[in-house]
Amino acid sequence: MLLPKSWNDIDVLQFKELRTLKDIPELFSREIEALATLTGLPSEELEDYDVDEIQKFMKELHWINSEPPKKYKLEFNKLTLGEFIDIEYFFSKDYIENISEIAAVCYKKTKKNEWKETIYEPYTYSPFDRAYLFDEIPIPNIYGIIPEYLSFRDNFMKTYANLFEPEFEEETEEDIKDLTPEEKKEIQEEKKIKKWSWERLLYSICNEDLTKINQVSDLSLIFVFNMLSMKKELNL
Amino acid sequence: MVEILGKQIPNQLDELTIQQFEDITEIHNDSSLDIIEKHIKVFELLGVSEDEMVEADVDFETFKKYVQEFNQKTDAEIIKEIEIDGYTYKSHEEEFKLSVKDMKVIEKIINSKHKGYLSELIAVLFKRTDLSKVEHYDKAHIKHKTKLFREQKAAVAVPYLVYIGQKFSKQIENATTEVVE
Repeated sequence: MLLPKSWNDIDVLQFKELRTLKDIPELFSREIEALATLTGLPSEELEDYDVDEIQKFMKELHWINSEPPKKYKLEFNKLTLGEFIDIEYFFSKDYIENISEIAAVCYKKTKKNEWKETIYEPYTYSPFDRAYLFDEIPIPNIYGIIPEYLSFRDNFMKTYANLFEPEFEEETEEDIKDLTPEEKKEIQEEKKIKKWSWERLLYSICNEDLTKINQVSDLSLIFVFNMLSMKKELNL
Repeated sequence: MVEILGKQIPNQLDELTIQQFEDITEIHNDSSLDIIEKHIKVFELLGVSEDEMVEADVDFETFKKYVQEFNQKTDAEIIKEIEIDGYTYKSHEEEFKLSVKDMKVIEKIINSKHKGYLSELIAVLFKRTDLSKVEHYDKAHIKHKTKLFREQKAAVAVPYLVYIGQKFSKQIENATTEVVE
């Protein structure tokens, strides 16, 4: 059986599949499925092996229990508002499942201009259309985005804490049960506001002129939030 | 056998049935009982009630002696073949090796932690020689075999249970999870 030697032999699709296996409650069944994912063999074929052999293989594959290495460093400070909103959307869903889409937002085509400077293509494409390009590359090539973005996001939220409303805990059925009709209505309103928060922000920045949404989305994220902070602080 | 209050009580693996072994295991796993209560329950299960002990005025030292004698067990060898109702059930050919398929089924049974799961484990390992792989893993067939094996001696089951226990410990030892979340 040909076993991969390190994370460099694992592509993004395999990595995503490996991470979904954590939902299998039985340890041994989970390891068989992991082995099937890593070798490309159907799990039924692995059932003919004996447990000792499988344990030997899994020992060789101990590195899959660690994080993949992080190769690249990205400059998230250069994100546009539109890119940031899209990345936030993918992170809020499931960042492992959406890692290819996140990479599609972060990695762009480049070229040199007449001054030999690197020019990035504009963010006019859909990350859903490009995600497949990242599915078959080794996971270490893009895995670094995850921890790096989480750390950037953390700093960003701290810097602009005054612009972000405190996150309310999701109310359970039990919590809502004893509330007055007015309080229930308030919660519904909060949920609506939360659901459309980015759209509301874009709508307000472009002065309720929808034709300017693209222009606003292309603005630098840091610039937009600096301006919004200033507006708030000066009560403009 | 050990003699307690004039009664012959089975204590060896070739004297206890798998059913009795399961019941004893269940008593020992009951965290609501203290160690003395566990032994009283075990003796009760095998034919000597607490009332009989009280009536015979069994003191603590005598009770301790009963427990010590009861716990003296000899090891059992792996039995690879057994005949029940005219059919032969076999666990392996030359050397016993746990197959991945068996382990997957066994793992599910262990996780379900239902009463009588030990006999079901053994029912998975012993396969009727006149049947095919499809029938071996058929749920209804395993259920039927479970009933049959429950009446067999614990000596058939214990060496396999020890083996499976060791495999699981090794598996848990090897698996250290360290994910990004």
